[in-house]
Amino acid sequence: MAKLKLPPRGDATAALTRRGFLVSMTAAGAAFGFPRHALAAMDPATPDGMPRPPVGAVYEPSLWYAIDSEGKVTVNIIRAEMGQHVGTAIARILADELEVAWEDVSITHVDSAAKWGLMVTGGSWSVWQSWPLYRQAGAAGRTALIEAAAAKWGVDPASCVAREGRVTSGSNVATYAELVSGGITRSFTEDELKALPLKPHSELRLVGKDVTALDIANKTTGKTVYGIDAKIEGMVYAAPLLPPTRLGATVTSVDDSAAKSVKGYVQTLTLEDPSGTVPGWVMVIGESFMAAQRAAEKVKVTWAAGPTAEVTEAQIQDHGRSLIANDSKGALLDTGNSDTAPVFAKAADQIAAEYTTSTVLHFQMEPLNATVFQNADGVWEIHTGNQWQSLILPTLQTALGVSADEIVMRTYMLGGGFGRRLNGDYTVPVALASKALGGKPVKMVMMRPEDVLFDSPRSASVQQLKMAFDDAGAVIGMEHHATAGWPTEVMIPVFMPKGTNNQPYDPFAIAGADHWYTVGAQKVRAISNDLANATFRPGWLRSVGPGWTNWAVESFMDEAAHKLGRDPLEFRLGLFTAEGRNAGSAPNAVGGAKRQAAVVKRAAELAGWGSDLPADTGIGLATSFGQERDMPTWVACAARVKVDRASGAVSVEKLTIVTDAGTIVDPDGALAQVEGSALWGLSMALYEGTEIAAGNVRDRNLDTYTPLRMIDTPELQVEFIASTEVPVGLGEPATTVVAPAIANAIFNAVGVRLRDLPMTPEAIRKGLAG
Amino acid sequence: MIKRILAGGVALAVLGLGGFGLYAWHPAFDPITPPMADSFAPEQIEQGRVLAAAGYCATCHTAAGGAPFAGNYPMKTDFGTIYSTNITPDAETGIGNWSEAAFERAMREGVDRSGAHLLPAFPFDHFTKMSDADIAALYAYIMTSVEPVKAEHKANELPFPLNQRILQAGWKMLFFKSGRFEPVADKSEAWNRGAYLVEGVTHCGACHTPRNALGAEKTDQPYAGAAIDDWIAPPLTAANPSGVPWSAAEFYQYLKTGTTIYHGSAAGPMAPVVHAGLKELPDSDLAAIGTYLGDIVGAGGADPAANPAVAQSLAAGVPQADYRKDEGERLYATACAACHYNSQQITEGRPDLGINSATRLADPTNLIHVMLNGISADQGMAGVVMPGFGTALNDQQIAAIAAYLRASRTPEAPWADLETKVATIRALGAMAH
Amino acid sequence: MTRFTINGKPIEVDVEGDTPLLWVIREEIGLTGTKFGCGIGMCGACTVHVGGRATRSCVTPVSAVEGAVITTIEGLDPAGEHPVQTAWRDLKVPQCGYCQSGQIMQAAALLKDIPDPSDDDIDAVMTGNLCRCMTYVRIRAAVREAATAMKGSPSNG
Ligand code: FES
Ligand code: FES
Repeated sequence: MAKLKLPPRGDATAALTRRGFLVSMTAAGAAFGFPRHALAAMDPATPDGMPRPPVGAVYEPSLWYAIDSEGKVTVNIIRAEMGQHVGTAIARILADELEVAWEDVSITHVDSAAKWGLMVTGGSWSVWQSWPLYRQAGAAGRTALIEAAAAKWGVDPASCVAREGRVTSGSNVATYAELVSGGITRSFTEDELKALPLKPHSELRLVGKDVTALDIANKTTGKTVYGIDAKIEGMVYAAPLLPPTRLGATVTSVDDSAAKSVKGYVQTLTLEDPSGTVPGWVMVIGESFMAAQRAAEKVKVTWAAGPTAEVTEAQIQDHGRSLIANDSKGALLDTGNSDTAPVFAKAADQIAAEYTTSTVLHFQMEPLNATVFQNADGVWEIHTGNQWQSLILPTLQTALGVSADEIVMRTYMLGGGFGRRLNGDYTVPVALASKALGGKPVKMVMMRPEDVLFDSPRSASVQQLKMAFDDAGAVIGMEHHATAGWPTEVMIPVFMPKGTNNQPYDPFAIAGADHWYTVGAQKVRAISNDLANATFRPGWLRSVGPGWTNWAVESFMDEAAHKLGRDPLEFRLGLFTAEGRNAGSAPNAVGGAKRQAAVVKRAAELAGWGSDLPADTGIGLATSFGQERDMPTWVACAARVKVDRASGAVSVEKLTIVTDAGTIVDPDGALAQVEGSALWGLSMALYEGTEIAAGNVRDRNLDTYTPLRMIDTPELQVEFIASTEVPVGLGEPATTVVAPAIANAIFNAVGVRLRDLPMTPEAIRKGLAG
Repeated sequence: MIKRILAGGVALAVLGLGGFGLYAWHPAFDPITPPMADSFAPEQIEQGRVLAAAGYCATCHTAAGGAPFAGNYPMKTDFGTIYSTNITPDAETGIGNWSEAAFERAMREGVDRSGAHLLPAFPFDHFTKMSDADIAALYAYIMTSVEPVKAEHKANELPFPLNQRILQAGWKMLFFKSGRFEPVADKSEAWNRGAYLVEGVTHCGACHTPRNALGAEKTDQPYAGAAIDDWIAPPLTAANPSGVPWSAAEFYQYLKTGTTIYHGSAAGPMAPVVHAGLKELPDSDLAAIGTYLGDIVGAGGADPAANPAVAQSLAAGVPQADYRKDEGERLYATACAACHYNSQQITEGRPDLGINSATRLADPTNLIHVMLNGISADQGMAGVVMPGFGTALNDQQIAAIAAYLRASRTPEAPWADLETKVATIRALGAMAH
Repeated sequence: MTRFTINGKPIEVDVEGDTPLLWVIREEIGLTGTKFGCGIGMCGACTVHVGGRATRSCVTPVSAVEGAVITTIEGLDPAGEHPVQTAWRDLKVPQCGYCQSGQIMQAAALLKDIPDPSDDDIDAVMTGNLCRCMTYVRIRAAVREAATAMKGSPSNG
């Protein structure tokens, strides 16, 4: 079985593990790490974000944490905090194995030094990737502390128990604080590490229980420090003037004469960008934020626009259709048997449908911003919120013309990520401006319309699906052709694996189409929409490809069931045979399609599937495996909707979401992630969606872009399947099931089939009118 | 304040009546040395201070950024801009060398110390009704407590023949009746006190009574409402369109604080009337004004909370799941409802737009002004701000919200040409005051 | 020169009158708990109290607050123990947290005006505050919890 290889994960885990576990003992009172390190790190629980310095002797059983002479544990987190309480989840894994009280744990979001390995926060990977690593690290510390105590008392380590930051053996008691103060040297080989005993699930004391999330308190008092709050002595402000097209524009003239009357105006910079990230950008510099803004209003710039200045959404979609029509385009995924032609040729019956989705904005609440300067050591400091430091640092090197060790990023709390901050392009113009000013600190805060214009939106998509049936109505073949702009292709093409026809593809833009239904011959074809790629920078947006692929798959499953006159639930369950490639495999996908069948069954049951409903009311089902086949999070949604025939308005009365994500490390955090991602799904299903007009997105702010709000929030019922399997991702999967569940519910309510996202009242009215 | 009193008298230029010159002629009073502060009793000066506030003297006699009472506040008229005069006790450029008799003549007859006619932008048609004691107190206050400021009066920008002050005499002959306030025997003392203040020093009719082509108040339509300074001064009669009728108590509350639960906030030109003026009056006077205005408006003593218009407006404000169907409704739900929504009853500080006159007037001007420019802390409910959405929303979006409110919260017919109106008002810029 | 009181301290700022209050608070006064989201009054991230009423500071020119009394998230309660803040922590409302200063300020104002809010009341008043992490379910619950707590202790009413 060929896999969707997602390089970041494998590399990251391997790289991190390889670093092994160092043992170190620093002198009492010495600062933690080198000075810049502390400044470049963030503790979300302190009022100013500065990590608490360790007290006295420090024992660092591994790169991932330190215990000080007061028994306080500081856990190093390479993931960005953007609302998932990721530091809390990861530190808890470690603290559980280490056997310390939660009160003694603090977290440090680290700088971007090379020693931390690959830094990326996305794909709902964080907990899944950290689970084995931080358990091992915790076990190593626990073992070292027990050994130190045993040696001290001259007892057998096996007689010692570690619990709540202390080791006991008979009447002997020693706190971790005492043991660390006494000095510990203990190192572990890789083999020793692998052999460390991990606690059985039944003895987990923090995992799966509610603990205080370390980032939350400051978020209720305004103390949390986000990128937009960065402050560097002597900084000036930059207000960007954006070119008419995202790519290919050049500045033809700049006239700042009118700006000169603005108090605090400094100068206007036309950026020269060796990295090609921000072609045609102009930055207006002011001594204060308002000076830069006011001056920017008065600077007149003319540009020669890039070639995509007139591109429209309809052109992009039509281009997608022509690409699908051309059999030679795209990459074929390995599905075991993709030879569908003969199957369709002999099919007794078949069904085909096309599904589309519109361009969607991230619209994370904190507009893009960054602060950059060259510090006294000559190192360029990038202060910002970012999800993928390892992706943008090389670009920054090119832009600044410096080497890797001359740049460090301080990652602040993120006022929303959702994938926008995977693409760190917004740091580049600020770095260039600072460089042009001799390394002076420059801060840029984008106003909302600019943030939106510079978004890396989720590309519009076109998908065509076909299914073949034999004369008994059994499914014997399926095709799924999907085209959209490809984020991975435009941002990091080396991450693209190759399909069976040796063509590269963006796994993030097709995952989901390679579902766990057993459908016989199965062709899955991913096609890059080069017009989209040329017009804007397609982005990874919460759940990425499955946000559209599953929209098509799960709408189509209902269409197929209805065509056959079968119950959509029973039809799905019949295809979840969990055989062959769908049987699943250890460690991540144990149980395979059986687990997916279980969640959809449970969701249907909770929602009252099959019961009588009032007029124009319907329940719809949809299910998915989250993001990727090799890290499936099994999820299902039952949406109950009521359709107003006159206006076409859909009111979503209730969403029932059932998730099997293996072991739940942070139950409340998991619940929050499912709530948030399900509502994102709803928002994109009914309320979002913009379009490309004249080469850029049409909507610029909340007066016309209308995401879900409090008033639109339906009743949510969320359930997790109890499991001790490997914990997998939770940040996105629920996003993927809501839209098709709603579409299926609308069909069940009033018989109208919608195939375009977002689903609008006009489309429903049109459908009702026949 | 009254920025747009018409410079009346244009037609009179052609009267050419034989005796007219005589009628128009007034002698000059001799200049005096400004009186010493101790020539007046402190209580009299204090009384004058309150009256000066209640007559908003400073509002019209102070230019933006200028010294109080030093004049040169521009009043745009259909005929040209006129500038208010310096009424500080500066002997050269102000009224420092005016005797009390000269001051009284100006107040009662609209004639200055030199004998020249004053333009009726100065509401002597109201001030003539004031008592001798009140005029004397005003004089005492101005002469002793206002800082003398040397400030030459800017020449009015009126074309010939309107710049001929003698023509004002004709205007007066036609429209002006001098004379003190006459109490009405069968009315209460409070009513008479209120009437005295309203007809006299507070000159409410100057804004709220419509004017004829020559800029004189239409005596047959007192308080019937009028356009003023690009705003609408709503009628203070039974024709007032507020969902809940005004009452004596509501008037009192409004004039004391700048806001009431059932009638929203004093915005636009009305804001300084309250905050720079009437609130200085003693409570008994404000209550008296309430009594008198309440009588004009024809209010009963009904409980405003029980008014069906309130219930209707509250019901219309209940959030609707399909609020996205109408752009105005959607924008209102996201930008306005957080402050304007009311639950079981109307809460102070959450103006209910369904019963507010701004939403119910035949002309959307007031509503649009407030939506675009907001209400600052020194207006309306003191210390509270409504942000303006002029920089946030475009004309069409503002118009959509206004149309939605009109349709959903009031029984009134839709406003025509809303978007154009928004553009016009936007072009005026934020209010001077 | 504009004078006003912020979190109990009188302050005087020398900026152009049309400078949005939000940027005066963040940049001149240095209180960064108040956030910028949209700049057009439609997300609520910048909500502060002016004269005790929830006000979108991004569309409020500083000239409009002359003489006013302003409270930001930093001043809502000196110890961060306003019943709304406590409820927010109890129910773990914040995700990224960026919208939450505004949500909390809006909710505190809501409960002052409507101490026992219905679902409709919460929907109507809180809909102006966008939460992109979509923490709405918890906001709703936390508003109710805070309402209950505030009823229990009249001093907070
Ligand atoms: S920033 Fe003020 S409402 Fe969005
Ligand atoms: S918590 Fe992230 S926007 Fe509300």
